[in-house]
Amino acid sequence: MQRSNTYILVFTAIMTIIIGGVLSLASQLLGPAQKKSIELDTKSQILSAVMDIDKKKDDVLGIYDKRIHSFVVDAQGNVVETDEKGNKIIPENVNVLKYSKKPCSERLLPVFMLMNEQDANKVDAYIFPMYGNGLWNKIYGYIALEADMNTIKGVSFGHVQETPGLGARIATKEIQDRFKGKKIFEGDELVSVVMLKGEKKDPSLFGPHEVDGMSGATLTGKGLNAMIKDYLECYKPFLLKTKNQQAAL
Amino acid sequence: MELINLGIRSIFIDNMIFAYFLGMCSFLAVSKKVSTAIGLGAAVVFVLGLTAPVNWLVQEYILKEGALTWISPAFETINLEFLQFIMFIAIIAAIVQLVEMVVEKFTPALYGALGIFLPLIAVNCSILGGSLFMVQRDYTLAEAAVFGAGSGMGFMLAIVALAAIREKLKYSNVPDGLKGLGITMLITGLMGIAFKSFIGIVL
Amino acid sequence: MSTEVLEPTATTKKSEPLFSKRRRKFVLDPLNDDNPITVQVLGICSALAVTVKMEPTLIMAVSVVFVIVFSNLIISLLRNLIPGRVRIIVQLGVIATFVTLVSEVLKAYNYEMYKVLGAFVGLIITNCIVMGRLEAFAMGNKPWDSVLDGLGSGFGYAWVILTVAFFRELLGSGSVFNHQIYDASIMPTNSLFIDSIGAFMVLGILIWIQRTKTGYVEH
Repeated sequence: MQRSNTYILVFTAIMTIIIGGVLSLASQLLGPAQKKSIELDTKSQILSAVMDIDKKKDDVLGIYDKRIHSFVVDAQGNVVETDEKGNKIIPENVNVLKYSKKPCSERLLPVFMLMNEQDANKVDAYIFPMYGNGLWNKIYGYIALEADMNTIKGVSFGHVQETPGLGARIATKEIQDRFKGKKIFEGDELVSVVMLKGEKKDPSLFGPHEVDGMSGATLTGKGLNAMIKDYLECYKPFLLKTKNQQAAL
Repeated sequence: MELINLGIRSIFIDNMIFAYFLGMCSFLAVSKKVSTAIGLGAAVVFVLGLTAPVNWLVQEYILKEGALTWISPAFETINLEFLQFIMFIAIIAAIVQLVEMVVEKFTPALYGALGIFLPLIAVNCSILGGSLFMVQRDYTLAEAAVFGAGSGMGFMLAIVALAAIREKLKYSNVPDGLKGLGITMLITGLMGIAFKSFIGIVL
Repeated sequence: MSTEVLEPTATTKKSEPLFSKRRRKFVLDPLNDDNPITVQVLGICSALAVTVKMEPTLIMAVSVVFVIVFSNLIISLLRNLIPGRVRIIVQLGVIATFVTLVSEVLKAYNYEMYKVLGAFVGLIITNCIVMGRLEAFAMGNKPWDSVLDGLGSGFGYAWVILTVAFFRELLGSGSVFNHQIYDASIMPTNSLFIDSIGAFMVLGILIWIQRTKTGYVEH
């Protein structure tokens, strides 16, 4: 049957209102739970760079509140507290992906400090978030440096989306453990760490700035190297500053 | 330079078909003849190249958290992202409709070639996929446009190549159970291996 | 186009049992003889991209079944009210609503999977199976029949993608549902199966086996 235009208009209007209503309601109801799961996810990733943590079993938020102290620095290594509009910056909420496209000087660079369990004034590690390009999609990571600002304490990497390929291995503990104990500085010169081509599976073959590669995923490794180098360069002033302060103490 | 690189990537490396399986339905259904494959491919390039930047604007100025501040600063906390799917698909459907009308009015010859494919395209996964990927990867407007057009060309390349193979395949003796869809899947897999050789090309 | 063309195709008696023979057919047919993927060639798009591992595949399958059953139900309830001229956009609207609900729920309660599936949940909207069932069945049939039809097509889709995922995960990663079955020392894993190519191959062979059994030949 052919309907009149008025009928069609009224029908579509009612449908739009119902659909809009249902969706708004759902988004309102689920909003808090979503915020919480995103927060939990970010914080457990930050923590997983420095400790083994299971999101389902451990009290991630509790440990995070107790151990992590966070702030944001700029490319000169100075602490920034407010953004250009004068709002207070929350380090956990800084959109690292968005800033990763800009040059260092325009980035906000969050720093997460892991405090010692006994001595709350002693820093165990500094954790830096980063974003870069993998083979298929964005990759991200957190690199944790020991208090000497030179030795890698641990890393945690991931890919933004299910990656159809071998590069997905960067998210596994096996690969991430290979970074432990590597150095990023040679004196005051930043050399970063580099994942090599090919896979030898023998840790003794590699120097302090080299990491065993992933077979079949050389390009993801390259992306990883570029990302680490890029971000360490951005953080370099902060790294040197902190390093020298510690040397002066 | 970045843009050219992105274009090349989205045509050859991040190919909609071989890397993400998007638009498979029409890829398999409309690849029996080269001439129709070219028609559908052209329509996809056209629509994808148009919807990606338009949806980018929608995402940036309507949907994103704080996107409505251009109306009034008071809207800073409003986040309409939960309407993303519905907005995107509505815009795609609207653009397809619009393109169809414009093409019909001004270039009847092109309409004759593209016409029948346009309605098919609204529900082609690669179109919506293009918009969703663009948001997920945080592209800029220019990047979104290049990515859209590039992905469309990647799709066209794939479907025309497959159609050419299938035209030849008519003369082959394929086992009964493999005829049609089965052998096409296997061929697509083999073509995917060929496309792998583009990996690593960076301009 | 008018809605008259889409009048009910089957006349049902009021006293028909809930699972009559005719109705069982709605559920059972798409599982094998009329499978949406292997026979009707629908919904391959978003299906293959998530089949690297079993777990995301299962979530995807459940989401699709949910979306298809409920959109079938709603469209079937509204079938005599929907004006023919705007029916496609109404169908898309209903599907998109359910897909958004799925995506929001995932984001709230299973953020891991939300991240893994990413844009692919949204792509259920353009999954041809859902659209196809609404247009071909729900627009012309009663609600309960449509629900059964949705279940049938949904499960037909689910078992195929789960089978594909099973082989891809077993051969590509050496595991099933993330439980390691064997490691590289026993048999090396084949990276071809992690790659998209593996999906085409597994599905191609699956179609071959299934069609040989059912005797279906495409010309």
